[in-house]
Amino acid sequence: MIEIQNLNMVYPNGVKALKDINLTIERSEFVFVVGASGAGKSTLIRLMGREFLPTSGSIRVFNKDITRLRRREVPYYRRKIGVVFQDFRLLENRTVFENVAFAMQVVGASPRQIRRQVPEALEMVKLTGKAKRKARELSGGEQQRVCLARAIVNKPSLIIADEPTGNLDPETSREIVQLLEEINLRGATVIMATHDKEIVDSMRKRVITLSAGKIIRDEQRGVYQQHAH
Amino acid sequence: MLIRNFLYYIKEAFCSIGRNGWMSFASISVVTITLLILGSFILLNLNVEHIANEIKEQVEIIARVDENCRPDEVEKIRVSLIQIAQVEEVRFVSKEEALERLKEQLGEFMEGYEQEHNPLRDSFEIRTINPEDVPAVAAEIKKIPGIAAVDYGAEVVDKLFRSTNVIQWVGFAFMIGLAGTAMALIANTIKLTVNARAKEIMIMKWVGATEWFIRWPFIFEGIILGTIGALIPSLILIYAYGEAFNWARMNLYFLPLVAPEQILMDLSKLLLLLGATIGALGSMLSMRRFLKV
Repeated sequence: MIEIQNLNMVYPNGVKALKDINLTIERSEFVFVVGASGAGKSTLIRLMGREFLPTSGSIRVFNKDITRLRRREVPYYRRKIGVVFQDFRLLENRTVFENVAFAMQVVGASPRQIRRQVPEALEMVKLTGKAKRKARELSGGEQQRVCLARAIVNKPSLIIADEPTGNLDPETSREIVQLLEEINLRGATVIMATHDKEIVDSMRKRVITLSAGKIIRDEQRGVYQQHAH
Repeated sequence: MLIRNFLYYIKEAFCSIGRNGWMSFASISVVTITLLILGSFILLNLNVEHIANEIKEQVEIIARVDENCRPDEVEKIRVSLIQIAQVEEVRFVSKEEALERLKEQLGEFMEGYEQEHNPLRDSFEIRTINPEDVPAVAAEIKKIPGIAAVDYGAEVVDKLFRSTNVIQWVGFAFMIGLAGTAMALIANTIKLTVNARAKEIMIMKWVGATEWFIRWPFIFEGIILGTIGALIPSLILIYAYGEAFNWARMNLYFLPLVAPEQILMDLSKLLLLLGATIGALGSMLSMRRFLKV
């Protein structure tokens, strides 16, 4: 599903964020990308979301090199993926329902589809009772669940999450990761950047460890290695 | 554009105007104030031009005939006058008629001046096709034998022509400048609205919105704000100019102002078009950099 080859990223200020990354992720995998701050996790996730272009190398997603997408093709690529952010990125003065519906309106879904799919997504993240609440009135964990609902409402086959538990307490973090696992069990590929040892160790999924922009370990049913900090 | 999308854009535009109440109010105020000044200036300029044209139309040359000329010589002068290319109309005023006119105008001051003691001369009143040709034609008439004096209020006419030209050019430059300023102010105000919504735009891009899908609600918002901002000065000008025109007709009846029905509809259309265009352009200009996510 994802094939990354010889990927290098040097930021305009000279920082080498990723060095010669080679990586293959299969359909329906659950992958943790771990590493200390500045290891290159976020850069890798953002490159997969086509937020910017790498300095060199290719990223093939759904059999297409997304580094070669034309500017006008990028929105159509993003519709096929769901993105979860550390800071939730919700429209705070809109309701939970509106926030999730927003992702469907943007892709031109009909009101009927929206009325059907938004409640389904909210049910999946256990927020059915809070559809009419304003996003700003929710707790951090609830806001992250809205963000998750928004990411899955268009039924994408790939979810990328950049430190989705970074702003949450351990209990809430576990809930969010359980939800991501449920989404994964329904067939979506999930790639999650994190430096939460407890979560990574409890899940025993594939773990890719980055350090100073390089992959230093890639293990199936892996754990968070201490020196990755 | 899908109808569903179109309805979404319109709905979003109105919702956004409501959600960003103060910013919307600021944008509308900027459009209102600038277009009110622009509209007032257009009206002022049109009226200055109209008055100048009216005065120019009334400018005529009076050529006084030497009192020793015989009637056949007077006729010769008339023929010479008609033959001047720029002359439109020549009218003979006998000294008797001139005295009668003077008596009508001055009343008791002319008592005692009867036809047998008429101090006036026979004269010709000459209108030119183009008022600007008056000084040249007057100079030519002076050369005709039998003409004793030529009068057209030379200094006044020259000054009038010069000053109306200046007023028109200054007015034109001022209007262009004002329209440019309005556009810059509105673009800046809309930029603040867009700035305040940078996060929203970023989220839209992340969930797969195309650039035009993001742009349209802002463009409609700009058009709506610009149109409302133009509607207010249009209504103010329609009311105020109507009142001013009626007042001037009663109190300054000698001032030939442009009738409201002749200009106000066109002026309103122009202001509305300007408002909508400025709003749309302002939106497009100010959101360019936010689309680069």
